[in-house]
Amino acid sequence: MSVTVGFIGLGIMGAPMALNLLRGGYPLWVHDRRAEAAAPLAAAGARVCSSAEEAARPADVVFLMVADTAEVEEAVLGPAGVVAGAKPGTAVVVTTTTSPEASRRLADTLASRGVELLDAPVSGSEADAAAGSLTVMAGGRPEGFARVKPLLERLGSVVHVGPAGSGQLAKGCNQIVATLALEGVAEAFAFARQNGVDPVKVREALLGGFAASAVLAAQGERMLAEDFRPGFKARLHGEELGLVLETARRAGFALPGSALAAQHINALAGGAGGELDSSALIRVIERMNSRAKKGEEQ
Amino acid sequence: MTANVGFIGLGVMGRPMALNLIKGGYRLRTYGRRKETVDPLVAAGAAACGSPEEVARESDIVFTMVTTTQDVLEVVLGERGVLAGARPGSVAVDMGTISPAATRQIAARLAAAGVDALDAPVSGGGTGAKNGTLSIMVGGKPEVFDRVKPLFSCMGTNIVHVGPSGAGQVAKACNQIVMLTTLLGLAEAFTFAHRTGLDPERVYASLAGGAADCRIREVLGKRMVERNYAPGIEARLHYKDIQIALTEAHTLGMALPGTALVTQMFNALIGRGGGNQDSSQLWEVIDAIAAPRS
Repeated sequence: MSVTVGFIGLGIMGAPMALNLLRGGYPLWVHDRRAEAAAPLAAAGARVCSSAEEAARPADVVFLMVADTAEVEEAVLGPAGVVAGAKPGTAVVVTTTTSPEASRRLADTLASRGVELLDAPVSGSEADAAAGSLTVMAGGRPEGFARVKPLLERLGSVVHVGPAGSGQLAKGCNQIVATLALEGVAEAFAFARQNGVDPVKVREALLGGFAASAVLAAQGERMLAEDFRPGFKARLHGEELGLVLETARRAGFALPGSALAAQHINALAGGAGGELDSSALIRVIERMNSRAKKGEEQ
Repeated sequence: MTANVGFIGLGVMGRPMALNLIKGGYRLRTYGRRKETVDPLVAAGAAACGSPEEVARESDIVFTMVTTTQDVLEVVLGERGVLAGARPGSVAVDMGTISPAATRQIAARLAAAGVDALDAPVSGGGTGAKNGTLSIMVGGKPEVFDRVKPLFSCMGTNIVHVGPSGAGQVAKACNQIVMLTTLLGLAEAFTFAHRTGLDPERVYASLAGGAADCRIREVLGKRMVERNYAPGIEARLHYKDIQIALTEAHTLGMALPGTALVTQMFNALIGRGGGNQDSSQLWEVIDAIAAPRS
């Protein structure tokens, strides 16, 4: 039996994810607040809907890839939202990054209406979304996960982490590791350059060793090329890290390294840097260490 | 002319401050949510009112001293709040520590009703409030500051007009940044001394009079040495204040790396159950990070 899919939010990440579901042979009903965002999906054979409600009505599974918690809640619970159209037994898959708490709250609200929520935030770039090579961290009931697993596998590699909210918590952990790696790479390259050592060679050497990572490879390359076109905007990186720090605050748990890196991202976002890729963090480390140039010294 | 004065919020800080205004000869109308906080004021001659609105209705100057930004919004702008009762030409003075952005919003709402606003957060703790020796950091119009200054003088000794509306709260955030990063330094120093086999009390004494000496060493350092964590100032209140500084810095797009680190240590302190203890207990967190003693 064919599974009909609704997809709401066709931005930089959402559009290629939706295309991969369509290419997997799933009948797809799509909606985005900006009508023009649906054009590539329509050309590929998706049905374009004028509301989330309409996209949810025929669907067995509804995906959301909108900007943040507020947009998720609006698209699901708001007027002409998913809940207004969804039949009992529908699964709603939120791939937007939200707080674990917001995700659990939404799961409870939907459960009382016979709708199953799965949180399935993703890690990876726009290119990964297009190639179907994202990392998907899923939270929710095992039965619900089993139902949507074949669909999630169209998006990338999938791990069921635990009950509702667990996917978001795993995404938070991903953010902690990736952010501190970014801070480390930025410090190392700035340090190498200051000491007259070519950071291009340093990156090359490190990629073969224990410090090798996706961040060193991809963000490291951006730092060295000074190619700070986003990618992952510093402003959004700061917001996602803010969600993690807020979760830690509520739990009475210290994340000292993450907090420090978040301050450097603040400093980056304070210039015009908020719209740059967050690998521009290296500029903050360089500013911090800038010396007066010869001739300026008094 | 003696002003009619209102005072709302009679907690650890508010009560002694209100009493000092009565001692200064001002007629006081007051409101507190809990009867037991109001009774000592009534005994000293204050009139008890049923709401902030009622306090404001016959006051020339109304002081508020409640805990959170949300509390101030409720007491001033909420139903039966100060704004509902305040007369044009009167002054609302908030002495709590809250967000500078919210302070400016509240001032704008009051101004629309012809009521002047001052933000006047304090430093000096319960002892300073009792002795009338608080530091008071004031934001608002200069002529309004001049009008209220004699009343501030009943409560504090170091009274500084910092700038326009919100400036007092910014200065208080600066105060908390200095205070809490210093506290972390002290906590690290005492843990270091202790782990090196020194007696923290001797180290405490040795720092007196040197370049690192300060009130925080004197008062909170002593509590660390004695491991006496009866508040003082409860960690959860410092924690609330430091969030204000971090939120403002985030909005400005600037880094407060030291403050952010201290905040994380406060997370751990509160997670250990120390939220209602004195902030000097922070040194137990630093001690816990160090290797267990054999």
